[in-house]
Amino acid sequence: MNAPRVVIVEDDLQIRRFVRDAVAKAGCTAIEAGTGQQGLAAIAAEETQLLILDLGLPDMNGVDLIRELRHWSALPILILSARTTERDKVEALDAGADDYLTKPFGLGELLARMRVLLRRHGSDATASPLFQFADIEVDLAHHSVRRGDTEIKLTQLEFRLLATFVSNAGKVMTQRTLMNEVWGPGHVGQEHYLRIYVRRLRQKIEQNPIQPRHLLTEIGVGYRFQP
Amino acid sequence: MPVTLSRTLTRTLSALLLCIAMALLALPMRDWFEPANTAMLFLLLVFLVALKLGRTPAVATAFASVALFDVLFVPPTFSLTVADAQYLVVFAVMLAVGLITSHLTAQLAERKEAAQASEREMRQLYELARDLGAVLTVDQAVDRLATFLSERRLAAAVLIDAGLGGAERFATYGRLELSPRDQERAMAAYQQGAVLASEAHWFIPFRGATRVRGVLVAVYVDTARPLLDAVASLAGIAVERLHYAEVAQRSELEVAAEKLRTTILASLSHDLRTPLTSLIGLADSLHADLAVQKVGAGETAGIIRDQAQAMHRMVTNLLDMARLQSGRVQLDRQWQPIDEVVGSSLRLLADLLAGRPVTVDLPGDLPLVLIDAVLIERVLCNLLENAVKHSIPGAGIRLSAHAAGETLQIAVCNEGGGFPLDDPTGLFDPFVRGEGTLAPGTGIGLAVCRTIVLAHGGHITAENHPGGACVRFGLPLGTPPEMEGEPA
Repeated sequence: MNAPRVVIVEDDLQIRRFVRDAVAKAGCTAIEAGTGQQGLAAIAAEETQLLILDLGLPDMNGVDLIRELRHWSALPILILSARTTERDKVEALDAGADDYLTKPFGLGELLARMRVLLRRHGSDATASPLFQFADIEVDLAHHSVRRGDTEIKLTQLEFRLLATFVSNAGKVMTQRTLMNEVWGPGHVGQEHYLRIYVRRLRQKIEQNPIQPRHLLTEIGVGYRFQP
Repeated sequence: MPVTLSRTLTRTLSALLLCIAMALLALPMRDWFEPANTAMLFLLLVFLVALKLGRTPAVATAFASVALFDVLFVPPTFSLTVADAQYLVVFAVMLAVGLITSHLTAQLAERKEAAQASEREMRQLYELARDLGAVLTVDQAVDRLATFLSERRLAAAVLIDAGLGGAERFATYGRLELSPRDQERAMAAYQQGAVLASEAHWFIPFRGATRVRGVLVAVYVDTARPLLDAVASLAGIAVERLHYAEVAQRSELEVAAEKLRTTILASLSHDLRTPLTSLIGLADSLHADLAVQKVGAGETAGIIRDQAQAMHRMVTNLLDMARLQSGRVQLDRQWQPIDEVVGSSLRLLADLLAGRPVTVDLPGDLPLVLIDAVLIERVLCNLLENAVKHSIPGAGIRLSAHAAGETLQIAVCNEGGGFPLDDPTGLFDPFVRGEGTLAPGTGIGLAVCRTIVLAHGGHITAENHPGGACVRFGLPLGTPPEMEGEPA
């Protein structure tokens, strides 16, 4: 298999340089673009495995770029965005982005996010009803969760929430997406349901519910399940 | 008045001439006409004179007619002997017709005059209303009012409630001198919303659609009250209109200023963070490359990265402070379990907290709080950072929360020497730092914390406790929304 092709859309030359080095370190081919239009052209030109996108572009709104791209491509998208712009991140994620990194970020974080997105993209076909993380085993087919030999009892909604997390492992999910997946549409304004159920799920699954290792909170954005 | 007098005299003389003319006219027909018919002619004359010339000429005509009638037409002619007392009746009727007619006519004329006067007044009031509708400032409005009233010899002053937001601070306009006592009375009229009068002045409060806007003070003229009422109500409408125009203009300005501030902060934020982002990233990249080769420069790259990160935290706090202090803080409040915010803060600061024993004491069933989670996370991060910065490496840090009555109490404490001040309250002011502090910082972290906590309706305190320092803050608990149960 060829090295995965990664398109970087970022207007700041120095940040782009750092991201390009990181992409090269991960063994991928980096294609750089300074504007949204250049980025879209680069993605359309050849098969691409990942897009790293800065939300603040000089020529177009990053969210619009995501929407346009989603018409014709399911390519994973990693957003780079400043702190204090949680609203923009949520908008970008709801528009179809897969994950985000808050500036400033280190090399380690960037490599980890890239790895997750590239792996997810490559392994979608091999879905199995059994999912394991830490000492927990989730059987999606039989709706059962076990820690070692002991069964963990979950309510229907708790299970549905866990199943949603598991099948989107590594990805940030906005509150809206989670509410829609688990409770169905029409629950705007009841996001506290979600928070309470996540808390319950943590109490049943996490070793230390206050400092969780798997069900992580992305404050102001949503949740991330990390196997 | 001489003019009226001479006019009455002229009219009376004309009336008498008319009588003589009538007598001369009727004289040749004396032999054919009954005296009663001639009397009718004279009666007609009295009636016409009363109608056209007024009371005095009518009375004169009545007298003259009777005299001429008696002398010329009643036998014996050319003598004033009243042979027949019955002609006294004719005289009385003539006099009565003259008086009644002239009286009615005069009344009619007066009414007409009054109607014309009131029409004139209406027109002027309408003009006043129109002019008040076009004025742009309170001064212009008051000028126009004063002109209108002084044309009617009504000296007036206008007191307008200038205190926006209800404080009764009066601005006085107009040409009338007001004694302190008058001022007091005007204030009383304003507060009661009722018309008051003293020996010298009327005090008429005027209101717009929403509330009393001011008081019109005018010299006391008994009959002027209806006019003053009308003027006062026009003044109320005008002043209220000006008030709302001003409010609208000001809020428009505020919106524009707020927009500008937001734009400046956003671009400042972008321009400051962008180089820091590349600095941190490139230094981290370099650090990773060099650390593999075990070169001393790798450590240097790591230090550059850490310093850039510390700088970024300072910039973030400074920008947050600017954002929170400029204009209104807009909270995105939602019902949140505090443990999520605590967990997320600990994860964000994982690098900083590495090697520190962190104790977290949170009951599992804490009620939800209505907070802006992003901002409260900022508070917790700042407090944890301070706890680390102001204690020696390896010293423990403790974070605890519990519900106490109507408040959720959260404390962040460290092990160490505590705050160097006797009264640490001042540390919450921007740019105040503990004396002799060696740790880097701008002294703005705690100020940001306080601004955020206060915006949530909470409180924040700092204190020393045996073996370290503590910052505690409380957030109001409120009533979390109900949640539908689900069968287990």
